[in-house]
Amino acid sequence: MELRVAAQKQFGTFFLDMDFTIEGRRIGLFGPSGSGKSTLVSLVAGLHHPDRGLILIDGEPIFDSGQAVNVPPEHRRISMVFQRPHLFPHLSVKGNLLYGYKRCAPKDRKITLDSLLEVLQIGHLLGRGVKNLSGGEKQRIAIGRAVLSNPRMLVMDEPLSALDDNLKFQIIPFLKSACEAFAIPYLFISHSLTEMRIMTDRVLSVAAGRVVGQMTAEQLARNSMGDSSVGYKNLLRLMAPRRIDGMYAYRWGDGELLISGGAGLQETLYELSATDIILFKRHPEAISARNLLKCRVGEMFEAGDRIGIGLECGSDKLVAVVVREAVRDLEIKKGMEIYAAVKATAFRQLG
Amino acid sequence: MKSIVGSFFPVLIILALFAVVAQAGDINLSVAASLREAVTELSGNFSKNNPGVKFQNNFGASGALAKQIENGVPADLFFSANLEWMDYLKEKKLLDEKSISTFAFNVLVFVGKPDLKVKTMQDVVMLEKIAIGSPKSVPAGQYAVEAFKKAGIDKQLENKLVMARDVRECLMYADRGEVEGAFVYKTDAEQMAKNVKILFTVPQEFYQRVTYPVGLTASGSKKAEAAAFYKFLQSPGAKGVLVKYGFTVK
Amino acid sequence: MPVFSHSDYLAILLSLRIAVVATILSLPFGFAVAYLMTYKKFRGKVALDVIVNLPLTLPPVVIGYLLLLLLGQNGYIGKWVLQPLGVKLIFTWKAAVIATAVVGFPLMVRSIRTGMETIDERLIQASRTLGAGWFDTVITVILPLSIRGLLAGSILMFARGLGEFGATIIVAGNIPGVTQTIPLAIYEYVSSPKGDVMAMALCLVSITISVAVLIFHEWLGRRMVRAD
Repeated sequence: MELRVAAQKQFGTFFLDMDFTIEGRRIGLFGPSGSGKSTLVSLVAGLHHPDRGLILIDGEPIFDSGQAVNVPPEHRRISMVFQRPHLFPHLSVKGNLLYGYKRCAPKDRKITLDSLLEVLQIGHLLGRGVKNLSGGEKQRIAIGRAVLSNPRMLVMDEPLSALDDNLKFQIIPFLKSACEAFAIPYLFISHSLTEMRIMTDRVLSVAAGRVVGQMTAEQLARNSMGDSSVGYKNLLRLMAPRRIDGMYAYRWGDGELLISGGAGLQETLYELSATDIILFKRHPEAISARNLLKCRVGEMFEAGDRIGIGLECGSDKLVAVVVREAVRDLEIKKGMEIYAAVKATAFRQLG
Repeated sequence: MKSIVGSFFPVLIILALFAVVAQAGDINLSVAASLREAVTELSGNFSKNNPGVKFQNNFGASGALAKQIENGVPADLFFSANLEWMDYLKEKKLLDEKSISTFAFNVLVFVGKPDLKVKTMQDVVMLEKIAIGSPKSVPAGQYAVEAFKKAGIDKQLENKLVMARDVRECLMYADRGEVEGAFVYKTDAEQMAKNVKILFTVPQEFYQRVTYPVGLTASGSKKAEAAAFYKFLQSPGAKGVLVKYGFTVK
Repeated sequence: MPVFSHSDYLAILLSLRIAVVATILSLPFGFAVAYLMTYKKFRGKVALDVIVNLPLTLPPVVIGYLLLLLLGQNGYIGKWVLQPLGVKLIFTWKAAVIATAVVGFPLMVRSIRTGMETIDERLIQASRTLGAGWFDTVITVILPLSIRGLLAGSILMFARGLGEFGATIIVAGNIPGVTQTIPLAIYEYVSSPKGDVMAMALCLVSITISVAVLIFHEWLGRRMVRAD
């Protein structure tokens, strides 16, 4: 899918002026609060209109002030998932889910209720009212409602921000599988780099109502490494653990990673901060950390006032961040062999 | 609208309290609406000949006036449009019985637009809406209802009768065309009608003669000026004024 | 024990009928106006707001007189629209309904607006992006969620209608059996020296109806809370 926007809008004291073209099925929109993400998205969905400009989806104009084109939201087939579920209180779960479906032309109805219920696992909630559901259940229904309307694009405005971490990483698989199973391209807004990296491929970065840049989610994360508050988090999807000494061992790289805590699930997503990796020029005889990985130095790049070092270990990669002095002292160069130590407790389970 | 003061007695009581604060030489009259012009001229003449005497005149439907007097509104003389309301106050011992006498007579007529083809009581039945004074408090309305019964048309007129506060309001409705006709006094029709004229006189056999009694109230009888005015009303000069306005005095 | 006359019973029935009809007639207009005021921006919005709320501050007698000027024989609408069509409104039951509706309209609009303004804006946005046009959204989302406001507005208007006097007496007249409602009947009795007992009796009827309406409103409100 290709999204082309060249639009301006004045919103009180806020002025949005964006001009970009972005392609992909999993597009992210990233920026700080107040940067215009929600505004842009409401313009694309048709809930508000630009003062002037144009918006094209796959070459088809849905707004063009020059040609007086303004497709109303109900005809754009762009449905939305918001931060909060916003389910219709006067309709049952089934009524909510089918709201968009009923209004979709029969020839466009590729996604059906039954297939959706399976993917989102909400079949057991079908006959209920929406008032006494849990937050996670409600958000799943909201996602289902948006997907069932068979949109040509799904817009998600911080859909996970209101959920606690546990719930967040429970919902993410549902979100991904729903969009993948039904091949719906989406526009995903978040202020969380981790969510971006999991959910999106290409990211549009915005600030103060302007486009700042376009890049992959990985690049975005690397660029933000300089922010000491955010840093860079390695995301590791690890499988088939074996239990040993009260910890879990996962196959990784040429060997294994030992992680304490965790739930021993077949497939788990872990987060490891780049600053938690200690580098050794030579094999340290004995250290307390349970993980000692022999790696090759791959790419090296600026990360604010520090240096990011890509480590290759077999077919897997990690990124570590150290200060410039350390690079000098250890004479770190691309291609050289290096040892990385990580404590078993440094890994954070995401879901 | 007209006589709002006359019909809202609580308001009137407050106003009357102010009136009481006025000079002691004031004479308070409660007068049936149809006597308005005649009594205004009579009291004006009396004032001219008796400087220092001022009148406070209150016009309205006789029943409403009687109720006000009963509730304490100051009145020295009461002019009623029928005997019933005079008797009512007499029973309550609010009147000087000896002073009750007949003041004038009137005749009931039917008015409407000049081109309306109505000549008798039976013709009236064909119309859609007719105004009469509310029989509960307006003597003209009571006479009209009496006439309907005696003429045998009361059932047919159900749902056609618009109740007015007094005879003047009846006339106003007919004048404005909101009703097709109204039962009013001959004196009102002759003086006030602009767009309507008298279509026929109600045959006297259908109703009791319209009699206007006048009397001094208990409090009025104690006022020298009031008693003097009462005597003035019996004079030929006063009778002449009444005749001028279309009333009968015998 | 006072005995109600035939015209007294008629007055009671007429009061109820006029109040009900006025309320039902006003509902769609009240909803439309409340919708415009809540969701649309347009020039003259303030003017509309003022006109709609005017009957609240004007003496009912003034409203009645203005209606008379508009709808009477020589009125703007009377002369050019009603007469040619052969429609007479003044001094009919219909005029009483119009007077009651006009006087109670601001109450209805206010109640509905209050309810509408609490509707989550995102719900409307969601329905639009899910494929519902503006009218579809009004019927399937806004209307159901406005029920509380509609109900409160109806009850307020009905109660106000039962007590309507000033505008009614001017534009509909006091016609027993046709336009004489309870307040007009009481008015007649109050002017009559012998009417106090009947006036009181009708007052009690009026109070009873009002109490019944208020109790019904409370009960309905509770039922809706329980249904949530």
